Amino acid sequence: MIENLFQLILITPFVWVLILAIIYFVNVKVPEYVLSETVKFYSLLMAIMSFSLFVMCWSMSPTVVLLDYKNWIEVGDYEFKVRFIVDLLGSTYALLSSVLIGIIFRFSRNYLHKEDGYFRFIFLLSMLLFGLLIVSFARSLDLIFVGWELVGTTSVLLISYFYFQPQPVRHALKAIISYRLCDMGILAAAAWAHHYLHSTDYTLMPSLLGHGHGGNALFFIGLFIIWASLAKSGQLPMSSWLPTAMEGPTPSSAIFYGALSVHLGPFLLLRMHDYFTHFPSLLWLIGIIGAVSAVYATLVGRTRSDAKTMLAYATISQVGIIWIEIALGFTNFALFHMVAHASLRTWQFLRSSSIIQDFFENPMVHQNEEIKRSLSLEKLFSKNMKKAIFVHALHGFHLDFINQKIINAFFYPAKFYILLEKKWMNWNNEMLKKLIGKG
Amino acid sequence: MVFLYDLMAGIPLLITLILSVISIFSTDNEKWKSVIIGLLLFLLLYFAFFFFVPHDAHTIETFSLFDLSFNKISLFIGMIFCASLFVGIYPLRHQVIISSSFLFYITGGIGLILANNLPTFFLFWSFQRAIPLVGFFQSAKRGDASIGATYIIQHVISFFCLVALLVMSYNQGYFYYPMTSIPKEFFSWPVLILSFIVIYQSHGIFPFHSWVHDLVGKHSWYEISSIFLSRSGVLLFVQLLLPTFSNDPDIFKIILLSLSIISSIYWSFRGLFEENLSKTTTYFYIAQASLLLTGLQADLTAAKGSYLHMMVISLCGTSMFSILSYIQHYFSIKRANQFYGLAQFYPRLSTLFCLFGFCMIGVPMGASHVVEDLVITGLLDYQPYLGLGHIVATCLNGILFFIVYSKFFLGQSPYKQHIKVMDMSMKEMAPYVSVLMLMLLMGVLPYLFLEKLTW
Repeated sequence: MIENLFQLILITPFVWVLILAIIYFVNVKVPEYVLSETVKFYSLLMAIMSFSLFVMCWSMSPTVVLLDYKNWIEVGDYEFKVRFIVDLLGSTYALLSSVLIGIIFRFSRNYLHKEDGYFRFIFLLSMLLFGLLIVSFARSLDLIFVGWELVGTTSVLLISYFYFQPQPVRHALKAIISYRLCDMGILAAAAWAHHYLHSTDYTLMPSLLGHGHGGNALFFIGLFIIWASLAKSGQLPMSSWLPTAMEGPTPSSAIFYGALSVHLGPFLLLRMHDYFTHFPSLLWLIGIIGAVSAVYATLVGRTRSDAKTMLAYATISQVGIIWIEIALGFTNFALFHMVAHASLRTWQFLRSSSIIQDFFENPMVHQNEEIKRSLSLEKLFSKNMKKAIFVHALHGFHLDFINQKIINAFFYPAKFYILLEKKWMNWNNEMLKKLIGKG
Repeated sequence: MVFLYDLMAGIPLLITLILSVISIFSTDNEKWKSVIIGLLLFLLLYFAFFFFVPHDAHTIETFSLFDLSFNKISLFIGMIFCASLFVGIYPLRHQVIISSSFLFYITGGIGLILANNLPTFFLFWSFQRAIPLVGFFQSAKRGDASIGATYIIQHVISFFCLVALLVMSYNQGYFYYPMTSIPKEFFSWPVLILSFIVIYQSHGIFPFHSWVHDLVGKHSWYEISSIFLSRSGVLLFVQLLLPTFSNDPDIFKIILLSLSIISSIYWSFRGLFEENLSKTTTYFYIAQASLLLTGLQADLTAAKGSYLHMMVISLCGTSMFSILSYIQHYFSIKRANQFYGLAQFYPRLSTLFCLFGFCMIGVPMGASHVVEDLVITGLLDYQPYLGLGHIVATCLNGILFFIVYSKFFLGQSPYKQHIKVMDMSMKEMAPYVSVLMLMLLMGVLPYLFLEKLTW
């Protein structure tokens, strides 16, 4: 029963995405009303199925269902096994994804009414759900990478949703560079796990550590995983792309940077937690990154004046705290925090466009403001110190400048070589001209 | 019977050569385009027939100077060669101007693909490489700034390397031997180094890459494609070096692998700094092609990945060039310091371009994801740190693709908004869509294709 339900949950979005792709290429103009109604039915179906699976997993927890399918790739000794795990962690994330995406579908029906890109938006969100479900239930790093990349790609395409404006496109490029740099981590982790542990199944990896022949390489697998989690969760030093990624439509910002995509980093860390427990230094690293990011984002966020950017920094800060919780071993609490945070942030992002109205009309907002002011830590700092912190925070602690310097360190030698090459080619041409001239 | 097989192997070459010669005297371009498209389709079906219909005499050892043969690898590359050019040119048949030199490039390519021994390979290699020289000398006469000196220098070096290889094979008595049958005793250090120079130079791999810059500015994409698509380097490697590769020194293999990876990284960087978008796209393509040899050198797993990779980059690459060529027919795209926002005018073509790119950079469900998996795993088994290098190269290629795509299709368009949408019709786009379906099928059900790659 559980296996059938799981298969249905995974196949439905795939078929749905396929149908949408065919509709696009065959150039069938689907009326917006029909599309919205179909999407409503689809999202409801997904939410019901995910909820049913969640209830089943909850009732049988801590027992998990391990599913092995036919090898996807098989060449010589190499096998890409299609392995899934149906457990409480995965089903919780799947439920969260299905429900929140369903909400976003409903919200965007009004928000993107009569927009040219409505179909594209629906397609990309559907692709996102498929990617998220793969990550949720994948039992090997190879398979996680599949979902991980789908999420990253759809994310970038949604940042550049308003593709006819240059700014969203630039920010999408910034996001893709951060994503690709960090995705190397998961690919490297999977490949090294294949090589040193002969398995990328993370349920087996901790037990295989004793038999591995890698030494430091096994430590590096963990390091690669942390590196991979950085960009998606917007943690330092890969956080600068996240506030600029708010150029997409508000519903997509809500789902990606408030709720689901941004929590994939912690989700991956939770999945690999058993592995990390064998390397306490990696847990320390996770904690430190989380703490520094949380403090950084809190300070910088307070200097920003637009609602979506403030929310983006608040998200980085909360995700940083979730990293700390994972480092401390509070895995269940971290999962609860993720779900609560994702739900709250989705609501906040969706309401961000009405924030001024809320501010004037909702008395709770003023009450919260008063509570916040009376508890403020700012009182602990001297005036000069506050000023200094404010100035640096306003500049984002010069993170972009530092990143630029690091990138330049790689780019300068390349530029120098290209210059040399051009000179050499020109010299060749001049010499040949002279020779031909003499001839 | 041997004669019959020789004839069968010779038919594609003979027909192409005759048509090339006739094309010199023909001025009716429209008619010739139909002939070229028909020829490519015929060659594709011809190679596909022999590839899919099992026959015993894969290699015909005639021990003669001019030796052509059908074997699995040559049929495979021949199929990809013709299919890619067909897919690239067919939708554009009303837009592109094809000169007679293109048919000579195809002849050279077919000859290289079918060459069974070193002298035949040398003959067609020189033939295909000599055609651009005519163009360069014409430029020199006109007094152009770039006269392809680097192209000439690097090809002269490779030419002498090939001559040296021939002399050495003649001295040792392997002159007429099919390349796959040359025994391991032949492969001394000098032979390995000479072959390595020719192979790497043919693929534009660092440090024998600079000639590509000369060619990119002067020739059309389908002419450049026909040079790269014949995969002379891969053929020479697979047929000459691979049978005895396990006996070669490790240091030699590591240098070869490192250079392929460095080359891919170099071309990606070069693309990032290039202002001309057409050049950037070519560099992206070559960056991908540089990685072909990494898999072949690693092990069986990676080699299968490389063969799939060859299919992916050839078909997707030419489709991408073809789409760009169609667009450039209507819009002038010269500098990269601005966005062109062409997705507004070509929504479907922009989607196709994007999907082809995804299929090349390893996005899951696209064919290249399977390739990455196989090649990286194979490389890691051989040399873990080189596997990491490959990952870095793939990552940079991905970034370069997004930059190319966004510059062409996204952002604010400098063109007037009232231009009528000029997307291709479904009929014209059919070859692209077929390739895309194939790539997706390859990505979702890779075992269907991997089973076929058994040589």
